[in-house]
Amino acid sequence: MSQLVRFGLVLGVICLAATLVLAVTYEITKPKIEVQLNTEEQSALRSIMPLAESFNEKSLDGIEYFEALKGKDLVGYCIRVVGNGYSGYIRIVAGVDLDGTIEGVAVLEHSETPGLGAKINEVKPGESEPWFLKQFKGKNVRTIAVKKNIDAITGATISSRAVTDAIRKTTDDLFSKLKK
Amino acid sequence: MAKTKLLGEFVKGLWKENPTFRIVLGLCPTLAVSTSVNNGIGMGVAATFVLVGSNIFVSLVRNIVPEKVRIPCYIVIIATFVTIADLFMKAYAPLLSRSLGMFVPLIVVNCIVLGRAEAFSSKEPPLRSILDALGMGVGFTWALIVISAIRETLGNGTIMGFYLSRTFEPPLFMILAPGALLTIGVLIAIINYFTHKRQG
Repeated sequence: MSQLVRFGLVLGVICLAATLVLAVTYEITKPKIEVQLNTEEQSALRSIMPLAESFNEKSLDGIEYFEALKGKDLVGYCIRVVGNGYSGYIRIVAGVDLDGTIEGVAVLEHSETPGLGAKINEVKPGESEPWFLKQFKGKNVRTIAVKKNIDAITGATISSRAVTDAIRKTTDDLFSKLKK
Repeated sequence: MAKTKLLGEFVKGLWKENPTFRIVLGLCPTLAVSTSVNNGIGMGVAATFVLVGSNIFVSLVRNIVPEKVRIPCYIVIIATFVTIADLFMKAYAPLLSRSLGMFVPLIVVNCIVLGRAEAFSSKEPPLRSILDALGMGVGFTWALIVISAIRETLGNGTIMGFYLSRTFEPPLFMILAPGALLTIGVLIAIINYFTHKRQG
């Protein structure tokens, strides 16, 4: 019995110490991590909606999006989209103008296979933006589909589809809700 | 137990007991992250940090922890250091953190770390444990750098993110798991050949 108590006590003390250390580390790094995520998103927003001057964060029935404003005029929406990739979620922001034409797409976070699915975010040498995402520009968001007007990445059809379908569905959803 | 020189505890991890090429431990993270040199260095540094931290604490509590609950105790200590490394990476090296992804949290189950806790620091004083951890960490890091340099060059046509040639179409499999197994296999074969030759 006394042995059991000793086991529990030692393990308990070690766990307690670990919890304390982690709580402190979490508090120290939390603001820094939030800033990182925020600046990342802001710079992504600017790159997909170059003509907008400010962004106004909104949410409608669980869809998170930004109103892209130029002065006081609404010029489009930037929508947070989550795709179900080959190995986890793909976090995307898609910039769409008022009639549904895609201005730009940026991938914020993904865990796709390097060399295959990770190419959704690959920039070819000498170019300034990912070649896969560039295809979306100028297309109407309701029409985009892999094999139809979007070329899939070789060997990564699932990742390509995940990005395309998620953008189309979420944006479509938002537009029909906004009309109501 | 015959005491080796202090420096010996450090040096042995570099070559004689190199975790990747000689003991052949921790292959899962090696396969997964050795796709680019930057990833390799990042993983090596993170694993070294975890090794040093957990080795110190395992060594400090080695006389208090009862044998029957030692593994849970070690795992809690290791997991704590892994989480610290993960959070700091997210805060100060977000790009690296994103490209390593899941593999930073997975250092918890890296058998090099638990292996050193069980085989070394649970029996040795803190100073020796630190040197052992540093040696193993550096050994793991250079092994990762060599493997990832070969794979990144052949499989992606880049080195540390810079394109070597624009016309070279790299064989994709080098950057996938089979390429890692091939590279590690060939490297171990070369190392074994020279070791045997030297021994006569």
